Amino acid sequence: MCETQSVEGRPLDDQELVEQARGGDARAYEALVRQYQDLAFRTAWVIAGSAADAEDAAQEGFVKAWYALPRFRVGAAFRPWLLTIVANEARNRRRSGRRQDDLALRVAEDRPSGDAAPSPEAAALAAEQRRLLLAAVGRLGESDRQVIACRYFLDLSEAEMAGALGCRPGTVKSRLSRALGRLRAAMAEQANGGAPPLTRLQGGGE
Amino acid sequence: MSRPELELERALSDLGAHLDFPATPDLALAVATRLRAAPAARPRDRRARGWLPGLPRLPGWRRLAVAGLAAVLLAAAVLVVSPGTREAVARRLGLRGIDIRLGGERPTPTVTTRPGERLELGLGLRVTLEEARRRVAFPVLVPTAAGFQTPDAVFVNEIQPQGGRVDLVYRARPGLPASPYTDAGLLVTQFQGTLTPDFIKKVVAGGLVEEVQVAGQPGYWFSGEPHFFTYLDTRGEITDEQTRLAGNTLVWQAGAQTLRLEGQLPKQEALRIAESMR
Repeated sequence: MCETQSVEGRPLDDQELVEQARGGDARAYEALVRQYQDLAFRTAWVIAGSAADAEDAAQEGFVKAWYALPRFRVGAAFRPWLLTIVANEARNRRRSGRRQDDLALRVAEDRPSGDAAPSPEAAALAAEQRRLLLAAVGRLGESDRQVIACRYFLDLSEAEMAGALGCRPGTVKSRLSRALGRLRAAMAEQANGGAPPLTRLQGGGE
Repeated sequence: MSRPELELERALSDLGAHLDFPATPDLALAVATRLRAAPAARPRDRRARGWLPGLPRLPGWRRLAVAGLAAVLLAAAVLVVSPGTREAVARRLGLRGIDIRLGGERPTPTVTTRPGERLELGLGLRVTLEEARRRVAFPVLVPTAAGFQTPDAVFVNEIQPQGGRVDLVYRARPGLPASPYTDAGLLVTQFQGTLTPDFIKKVVAGGLVEEVQVAGQPGYWFSGEPHFFTYLDTRGEITDEQTRLAGNTLVWQAGAQTLRLEGQLPKQEALRIAESMR
């Protein structure tokens, strides 16, 4: 076993697992699924918009990735490749027209820990600010919501975002920056009293 | 980047760290179960669709008769593939899971063997025989002929083809010369031919193909000039695993299994080893 951790805190034996799975070792692949199921499920959820569709998509994505492994380029990064497959499944399910939860995330309660615990007032204020920000993200159009969620909620790299969003890596940055611009506008309108009608922020037009 | 932008990004990251995502289901278990399940309904299984609409699904061997190739086979128990038949229509023979083409376009081998260099055969995971038996769904057959009861190495590959495959490798030794194409004395591959679309592709551009029987079941013996040998992936496409040359080879069926034995052996010896497999 390799105990070393990579910069992102992932065990370094990832690539070994991929290599073993690629050689036809189903147990090595199960270990990979276990390692990436959170990320795959959440990515699918951001795109498909419902937990049931996300579960379907992630499961199907993992099965498809297994059978596609022999075509996986040795030495390439596994995460973006996997997320591309899973996100494709998620998009197909979203297109099938089922209702979405539309990023119905909830802000978790702060779990104060020991000395660093903020005062109850400060905690309440922070939670309220988070709820406002989440509400503003929720009012953005689908494409803006997804790019923001991929970057800040799932902490994906640019290559992973491109895979998950089905776009070219070169366009990720500009897409994100446009989404942030619209989010700032939404926050400003929110601060100036009253949320604007949803339609005004959708469609991606300025 | 301006300060308000940085602040917004920080706030979003902080929000991300405080979100309640829906609980992740146990995908690892669900996926493992699906990979082990008999893959009856795979979308791209050409065999399951059948190639004569309206007819019930027949075993590969009988389909040949339906297609009217039986006469060809009977008339030419030994098929000599003359060089320069590129323009000739490739004749297709087959066992379950093996696509055999006679003549036609010669593929370019992507693996060339140099003496002393270990050949990448794409065999998969090296395991014990017992472990291999645990990992595949079919009964793993081993020769009972003297000298072949204990393979020198056993490999299992659960990814290709569907249902998995097992390779038995025997080192070269006196009486069992090393094959110039595999470096081994003998290589025996087996998989569940009924579950899989074509997994092995053989293109015979020269040399001999002979129809044989192994313990009463159909098979082919390839000899003379080497033929081209490729593993196909689950979509029936050539993987980045390579096309290589293969020497004397026996392919045959044993029940639901398809087997392939490759080595620099005379036909009778190959048949004797094959018929001893239990």
